[in-house]
Amino acid sequence: MKILVAEDDELMLKMLEFRLRKDGHEVIVTHDGREALAKINELVPDLVITDIMMPFLSGLEIIGAVKKSYPNTMPVIIISGMGQESVVLEAFQLGADDYITKPFSPNELSVRVKRFDKAIIL
Amino acid sequence: MLLIKLFMLSAFFISLHTLGVIILVFTNLMVCLLIFMLIYMYFRAKREKNQTNYKLISDLLVRKAVFYDGLMLPETLIPVTKRVKKLIDNKDFRNRLTDELVLAKKNITGTSAENIKHLYQQLNLEKYALQLLKSRYWHIKAKAIQELSLMELKEYEFELYPFANNKNELVRMEAQVALVQFNGFEGLLFLDDITYSVSEWQQIKLLQKLSNLPPLLISVDKWLRSSNTSVVIFALKLVRSYHRFELHDAVLQCLDHPDPIVRLQAINCFSEIYTDETSIHLISRFWREGLKHQLAIIKALQNIGSENDNPFLLTLLHNDNYEMKLFAARAIARSGKKGLASLNDYGTYDNKLNDIIIQVKGELAA
Repeated sequence: MKILVAEDDELMLKMLEFRLRKDGHEVIVTHDGREALAKINELVPDLVITDIMMPFLSGLEIIGAVKKSYPNTMPVIIISGMGQESVVLEAFQLGADDYITKPFSPNELSVRVKRFDKAIIL
Repeated sequence: MLLIKLFMLSAFFISLHTLGVIILVFTNLMVCLLIFMLIYMYFRAKREKNQTNYKLISDLLVRKAVFYDGLMLPETLIPVTKRVKKLIDNKDFRNRLTDELVLAKKNITGTSAENIKHLYQQLNLEKYALQLLKSRYWHIKAKAIQELSLMELKEYEFELYPFANNKNELVRMEAQVALVQFNGFEGLLFLDDITYSVSEWQQIKLLQKLSNLPPLLISVDKWLRSSNTSVVIFALKLVRSYHRFELHDAVLQCLDHPDPIVRLQAINCFSEIYTDETSIHLISRFWREGLKHQLAIIKALQNIGSENDNPFLLTLLHNDNYEMKLFAARAIARSGKKGLASLNDYGTYDNKLNDIIIQVKGELAA
């Protein structure tokens, strides 16, 4: 599965990339919202994993753009911080498909990603 | 004539000599500056190269720990090269690695987080954090406390305990949060000894930290009698948040506290914990208080009052203060059918009051 990860924290980005590659996915890494949106339109990934708080464009704006251009074909998982419940609700209203809260277990992320992999295979 | 010529000639040679000296001095200065710049640039480049290397090694180590699949027994060691073991003595590398481990621990849970902690301890990094606790700079102390807390090293709680009453507010805050992180509600025992004030912000932080834990019935009543006003206020917040009805009478005593903020907090507390007689106690103190506290009392009566309070509340409908009238009308309306009926009968020439009554009835109907 081709997965785009948008995360401004370098260490987190590397860890996500490493884990997803280990699970056999093709990973596109982006460091901010603007770069993420450009790569989404250029490379059309199967799944987007995005942080909410990012420079230039927030995760919410990415969800809005993805759901407008690729409705029902490109799932989005958001990564939120603790205490961002209201933002998570807003993300779901915009069409986010799943969310994971920091701190999280890489294994949990792996399982959540697999769910979308199965959906694509089916 | 000859003398003048001789004088001019000597003056010429002297100025030529001076010029030569000046040029020589400047040339030397330039050479020195150049050498200094070259040395500086060399060390800077070396330092940058080292930093890049340290970052690379730290990243690899953190990644190795996060995704380590081996069985994690206390005696298990995550494979670490000899070079890394040697580098731990280097302050720059150690700081970089510690920062990355702390950052990873903040964002990760489960086995990976346990592995991060395991690596931190395996490399004896807590030894350095404990040394930093002795620093004379508050920010270094605060960072070290935060580090030990994030790594969940409960075994050092006794080392951290004295910092909960440190003269520096930020050191204090970190230590208090760490104690709650280690022991949950029981970590609040530092409130027994604290002499410094617990700031409003710190109280919010502690309550937020506690909100993620299962409630535990700890002894709060001694804090309600503390000589530290901020401790009493915090204890009242705990009583209110965790509905500690058994402490009703202890809270009642806080209504006579000399500090007005404590009294206000106690009044607010009675919105959540109350008995049939709470409103009588509040009303008996009403005229002793200022406007802010009076409004808080009527607001509390909106939630806990009964029809018995209506004679008192009806007198407030003629008060000059608009908020007082509105809150009193609300309290009467919410006290029951009789209250609403008495409000209906309260036809008056006061247009403002009539508007309030209409508004309150509308709120009830909604």
